[in-house]
Amino acid sequence: MRAANRGDAAAYRELLLAITPVLRGVVRARGRALGPEGCEDVVQEVLLAIHLKRQTWREDAPLRPWLYAIARHKTADAFRARGHRIDLPIEDFTEALPAAEGPDPTQDSDMEKVLDRLEPRAADIVRGLGMRGETVAETAARLQMSEGAVRVALHRALKAIARLRERMLE
Amino acid sequence: MKTDELIAALAADTRPGPGVARRLARALPGAAILMALAFALFWGVRPDLAAAMTSPAALKPLVPLALAGLAGKLALTLSRPEVRGGRTAAALWVFAAVLVAGFAVALAAGGLSGLVAALATPSLLTCLTSIPALAIPFLSAALWALAAGAPRRPALAGALAGLAAGSLAAALYALFCDQDAALFVLPAYAAAILIVALTGALAGARTLAW
Repeated sequence: MRAANRGDAAAYRELLLAITPVLRGVVRARGRALGPEGCEDVVQEVLLAIHLKRQTWREDAPLRPWLYAIARHKTADAFRARGHRIDLPIEDFTEALPAAEGPDPTQDSDMEKVLDRLEPRAADIVRGLGMRGETVAETAARLQMSEGAVRVALHRALKAIARLRERMLE
Repeated sequence: MKTDELIAALAADTRPGPGVARRLARALPGAAILMALAFALFWGVRPDLAAAMTSPAALKPLVPLALAGLAGKLALTLSRPEVRGGRTAAALWVFAAVLVAGFAVALAAGGLSGLVAALATPSLLTCLTSIPALAIPFLSAALWALAAGAPRRPALAGALAGLAAGSLAAALYALFCDQDAALFVLPAYAAAILIVALTGALAGARTLAW
């Protein structure tokens, strides 16, 4: 995370990939009523929250308590938004078993709907970097933008996605 | 979009936004200037300020200033999701208890009729409107800065921001206000500060949720 906050994308990606199965395990154990798709939506919302709030972690503090606090708050919030009240003890995260690998059930998920509502260029940048595996430099070249502009647009797009997802559930 | 793809997009966004402290550093100077300017234009210091500040009335700006510091510190602490209030929260409770005790002592000395007499002045309305008005710039700045944080209880964080803003405004207003009776200052200032805290709580519940 320290490397991530200094801009090391690869280290950050590894961290997110490592915590996702744990998150998924907790969410699925709690959210049977939501179905696998609904659960994956919640997992994605928690990941977005971790991402957008990562500056609230202080480098001199241990990472795990911060991570669990964010995940717990956002999971409870996401369930509440979907009409499920849950009581989520922190031990759920500390003792969680990672979910088994399976197909990622996110066709027609919330994320697709949100991306469709995003400004086309912003959605294109997110899709390019996420789904087509472009690098920032490639996206910048394709859209004839500077790399800095792509990064700013990406950051704004991710914030907009988080906001739209909240609004969609209200 | 699959979760792995979302992660790839997240990882490409390598610029964490500014934290609460940096946003505060950015917004506070402007808010402070705005407050000072408004105060100088519409209120101004009392003519006998120098004499008042060597009397017990010097507590009128000093106590709210300390309260603002405590509330502000706690709001900052609680903007991190994994941290609990701890000692600062305890200190704030002690502070509030001392103020209530001080009010009880003054009330015991002056009686209910003394309280009514002390509050029966146009200064009461001035106090109840001036402090919230003076608090607006600081409260806005504080809420904007805290929005970069991740408070577990957004309404509480907003209330603390309001408490800090209201207290700071009260400290400033105390330089104008020429009512020095404890039976006026304690209830009137407390009510004005609590109005700002309540505003902060309502605003925080909306703007600080994440």
